[in-house]
Amino acid sequence: MKKYLKAGLSGLLAVAMTAALVGCGGGSASEDTSASADSKVQKEPITLKFPTYLCGTNVGAAPFKVILENFNKQYGDEITVKVEEIPSDDAYKDKIKVLMSSGDLPDVINGKQGLFDLAVKGGFALDFTPYMDADPEWKASVTEAALKANSRDGKMYSVTETADVVGYFYNKEMFQKAGITPAKTWDEWFSNCDKLKAAGFTPLALMTGENSWTTNLILASLIGTNGEAGNTFMNTLHPKNYNTPEVIDSLTKMQKMLQDYTTSDAVGAKYNDAANNFLSEKAAIIANGSWMIGDFSNTEKAAAGFDKKVGCAAYPESGIVTAYREGWMVTSDDDAHKEAAVKFVKALTEDAAQLQNLELSSVIPLSPTVNISDEFKEKNPILAELINANSSIKYRYLEMDNIDYANVTDAFANLYPALAMNKMTAEQVVQQLNETAAKNTD
Amino acid sequence: MEKKNRLWIAIFLLPSILIFCLIYGASVVTLFGSSFTEWKLASKLEFTGISNYVNLFADKNFLKALSNTVIWALLQSTIHIFIGVTFALILSKKEFYWKFARTAYMIPNIICSAALGMVYLSIFNPKFGAVNNIIRALGVEDFSQNWFMDYSSAFFTVTITWLPFAGVVAILVLAEIAAIPEAILESAKIDGAGEFKTNIYVVLPLLKNIIGTCVIVAATSMLKNFDIIFMTTNGGPGNTTLNLPLYIYKTSMLENNYGYANTIGAFLILLGIVMLIVINKAFKLGQSDI
Repeated sequence: MKKYLKAGLSGLLAVAMTAALVGCGGGSASEDTSASADSKVQKEPITLKFPTYLCGTNVGAAPFKVILENFNKQYGDEITVKVEEIPSDDAYKDKIKVLMSSGDLPDVINGKQGLFDLAVKGGFALDFTPYMDADPEWKASVTEAALKANSRDGKMYSVTETADVVGYFYNKEMFQKAGITPAKTWDEWFSNCDKLKAAGFTPLALMTGENSWTTNLILASLIGTNGEAGNTFMNTLHPKNYNTPEVIDSLTKMQKMLQDYTTSDAVGAKYNDAANNFLSEKAAIIANGSWMIGDFSNTEKAAAGFDKKVGCAAYPESGIVTAYREGWMVTSDDDAHKEAAVKFVKALTEDAAQLQNLELSSVIPLSPTVNISDEFKEKNPILAELINANSSIKYRYLEMDNIDYANVTDAFANLYPALAMNKMTAEQVVQQLNETAAKNTD
Repeated sequence: MEKKNRLWIAIFLLPSILIFCLIYGASVVTLFGSSFTEWKLASKLEFTGISNYVNLFADKNFLKALSNTVIWALLQSTIHIFIGVTFALILSKKEFYWKFARTAYMIPNIICSAALGMVYLSIFNPKFGAVNNIIRALGVEDFSQNWFMDYSSAFFTVTITWLPFAGVVAILVLAEIAAIPEAILESAKIDGAGEFKTNIYVVLPLLKNIIGTCVIVAATSMLKNFDIIFMTTNGGPGNTTLNLPLYIYKTSMLENNYGYANTIGAFLILLGIVMLIVINKAFKLGQSDI
């Protein structure tokens, strides 16, 4: 009897362990069923899944918080936004790709870093055309030009609230001591670098780690201002042939900058290193967007009064990076979620949101109806300088990040060291870029 | 009776087998299956036979990643183990410092490797890093070496971020040394063997199994080494420090080429199996208690 009892108990234990394992996956299904039953009785708010990089130290975190609060005030009873914070662009991109491959996309995603094309290609993205046609005010505030940049085959797949207008910042005090003004030509740019060096300053805050951001902005400007051919190249999505005289010439110039005019930690440095070199007055010039302006008066990042020393200019040959970012995309499965998600995207992109972005992140608004007052310009002289520089520009072009395939952007980080250390010529770098780009099949 | 035991063994193994089949088994089957396909994100999956495997051997990035991975596995299963065993033999004498040294030596092993990557980026920073500053302080003025990004030093610098830190090996071997019967060591002493000879001819042969196990752990750890390389060099400069896990990440996450990434993954699993067989044979693991 005792033997049978022991055997029976052992058997029960094994079955219980197995059942517990199987049961782990079953819980949510039964919860879903009960939630569904409840919803028949009382209409629950629609929950939107929204993973976002707009958190932590991201420059867009502060305005996003306000925009979300305002959205909750307006739609809190009918829509709940479930925010999942992912504190880095790369982690965000990786997460969305994994969700995309498993067919489990959230309701609203951002199309950055190649996600836009993947979502469109995979048939996940909602066409905003009928919503824009039904809401001319919203359409006007996000502008035809930006919508066109975010359209494929006549369908508007994403809505952006910003246009990146990127010049470069310089240390006016260092420029004054070196006896120079912002360069009008690339020859003058190099001459300025020589004069800054002679005056005891390191001219450029470059970095080749991560997405080589500050370095690639200057490279984009070298190419984009190199005649019509260079400008066309810098306005063409996903080039596969980098073997052009303009790119080779620009890479040769960049090689000189990396070798002679930047900080000793530039090769392999991350964005924070380059930013820190500029903010701590160890370098005279940094290429970056208006969102950096807030850092100049942030005493945790720069010395008090540093913002008074910073000027802003367009690139030589009258060039400026002007890129409509890939914006917000709706990737919900069902109509109810799609409708709710469109409302949320509108809240992220309409005039009120653009105003928050301007005031809290110094991001230049798209909408012609968001007025930048003289008072605001007076309070934000560096941004005013950028707006002024942006008003009379000969060459406009995209960022390398915008036009390159993701693996090409990554390749730059590994090829710049070779260029800087004379392990490769510009021609060899171009060859490598071509090989990397060729791995992508559109 | 034996038949009945088998049944109970099978029943109690069931939970583990289920976990393995659901989590690992299914993934491995998917991995191998999709390695014979062209599978890109947001595209349809197409069977392509062995073309991915053929392409591997014409892919210079893969060949570089493979050679780096194998070199690191060799270094880890020799130098790393040598350092760990030597450290354990020294600590086994239980001098006054042994507990402190044992704990201190474990610290690099308990720090998250991404954080460790950031620490090393600072230590080897060409501008303000401790290493360059020490060399400058020793009198080499204007010394500036970009340790992680210079072709001549990148591989070496990445390697020393993990190679010397054999805390886990030291702890395992130390535990095994403690289990050696005192009588055996006494006998060696009575026979006139000094400390060195006792270690070489008595202790080390008794540690064969645990050293073999440590070699397996150390070598296979190099098949999944990712964080530190990603944080410090990201495989660069060029592809100097690229290894197979990082190449899988880049192929899947940057090129969205899941089929080819899974081919590299399948190759990595096969490489791991070959390593296990070779190490098992070399150490004759499981053939004796000692």
